[in-house]
Amino acid sequence: MSTDTSRHHSTTAIVLRLVDFSETSLVVTLLTRDRGRISALAKGARRLKGPFEGSLDLLSVCRITLIAKSGDTLDLLTESKLRRRFRGGERSLGRTYAGYYIAETLRWWLDDSERHEAIFDLTLAALALIDGRGPVAETVLAFDCQCLRLLGHAPTTRSCCICGMKIEHGERETSHNVAFSVDGGGVVCAACRPRQASLVMLSHSAVQTLEELLQPLGETDDTSRQVALSEQDGVFPLSSLLPRVGETSYPALRGFVTRYMQSLMGRMLRMQPYLPTTIRSRS
Amino acid sequence: MSSHAGAVSQLVDRLSQLPGIGRKSAERLAFHLLRVREDEALALSDAIRRVRTDVRYCAACFNLSEKELCQICADPNRDAARLCVVEQPRDLLSLEASGAYKGLYHVLLGRIAPLDGVTPDQLTIDALVERVRTGKFSEIIMATNPTVEGDGTSLYLSNQLSEFPVEITRLARGITAGSVLEYANREIIADALTGRQKL
Repeated sequence: MSTDTSRHHSTTAIVLRLVDFSETSLVVTLLTRDRGRISALAKGARRLKGPFEGSLDLLSVCRITLIAKSGDTLDLLTESKLRRRFRGGERSLGRTYAGYYIAETLRWWLDDSERHEAIFDLTLAALALIDGRGPVAETVLAFDCQCLRLLGHAPTTRSCCICGMKIEHGERETSHNVAFSVDGGGVVCAACRPRQASLVMLSHSAVQTLEELLQPLGETDDTSRQVALSEQDGVFPLSSLLPRVGETSYPALRGFVTRYMQSLMGRMLRMQPYLPTTIRSRS
Repeated sequence: MSSHAGAVSQLVDRLSQLPGIGRKSAERLAFHLLRVREDEALALSDAIRRVRTDVRYCAACFNLSEKELCQICADPNRDAARLCVVEQPRDLLSLEASGAYKGLYHVLLGRIAPLDGVTPDQLTIDALVERVRTGKFSEIIMATNPTVEGDGTSLYLSNQLSEFPVEITRLARGITAGSVLEYANREIIADALTGRQKL
């Protein structure tokens, strides 16, 4: 049979979603480094014996082989070897739900086959922290902020998102709080503020933390490190952001980022109510 | 477009909607039913009708049953001090087929999967907590599937049951007997090391 319309492809993938297709087969949504988010049919994936060996579980990191199909046909997953299993569910519900949240976020943020290497590395780093000993609340917040930056949705913090007027440090310091427009996507100057309906007030220290959370953390062009799964922080230095989130600024920042993401996505994520409300709710 | 007579076509359509049955298999089954004796074919339809009208969930454990209590709950010879929690009735059947467990069961009728909108209140968790509160169990065995969602469900249940004086255990996991370490996945070896037993 001709293989003109199909291509074999091997890559590392994170499992974002599993949907039953038949008794033993699954439709798997995966995040890959070189092909972005893809969906593929895994025939016989529920069987213990076979090319999948029970590796396709939510948030697992696998080395997969797939046949890319043309047109609207689902790619066919032919093999999967487990590299790392997400074990949050064995230890803490908070870590489990944070993992679910990341999976759900990526399903809505990314389009099919939209390659985004930095997002893949960021996700590996975030899952490694959540599944290890990293702080859950800070990791998820840093993950969200870095996603916003990498996808070009970072809220403006230095100029009014309505009129574009530069907001100097001096002006920010004179007012009690800084006003952010959820719909506008950034800080709003005093003149534009009365016309904005969806405003969130943040303290100066919260804005400073937000700016730090949104800053670039270095490049990840070194493809030799992409499968170094035991060194995720080296792939994407997410952990360097975590100490910057203070207890007092976390609730306001979490609230703003959640509302802002909700506005961008046009929906409330199912896992949003499960996010930590305070930085102390570590588990 | 189907070339079969209306009734045959309808039967094929119905059969092909069953899990694991494709169009070809459905046609084979339909023609088999046309070939066998009439009473034999009608016995199948009677069995389907009976299972839909007579089978319900056991009032105690939510296993499938034709009476108020299922055979396992009604059996006085079962070990009433042990309770094994499973996701679905078919998981119960798998454990029963092993012949290694003689205690009672509790079927959750699902697992907690907030990503799919399945929350604890949609399962039989309240009934489980009540059962443990009023029962005399010494051990609760978590036999949910060894997946992230299955483990999450077990963890949620163990939190809910932590106030009761019962030992909460879960099924062992790790290397398959008869295999060799050299070819075992490192995650499986990690599981086996974590769950190692005294000799």
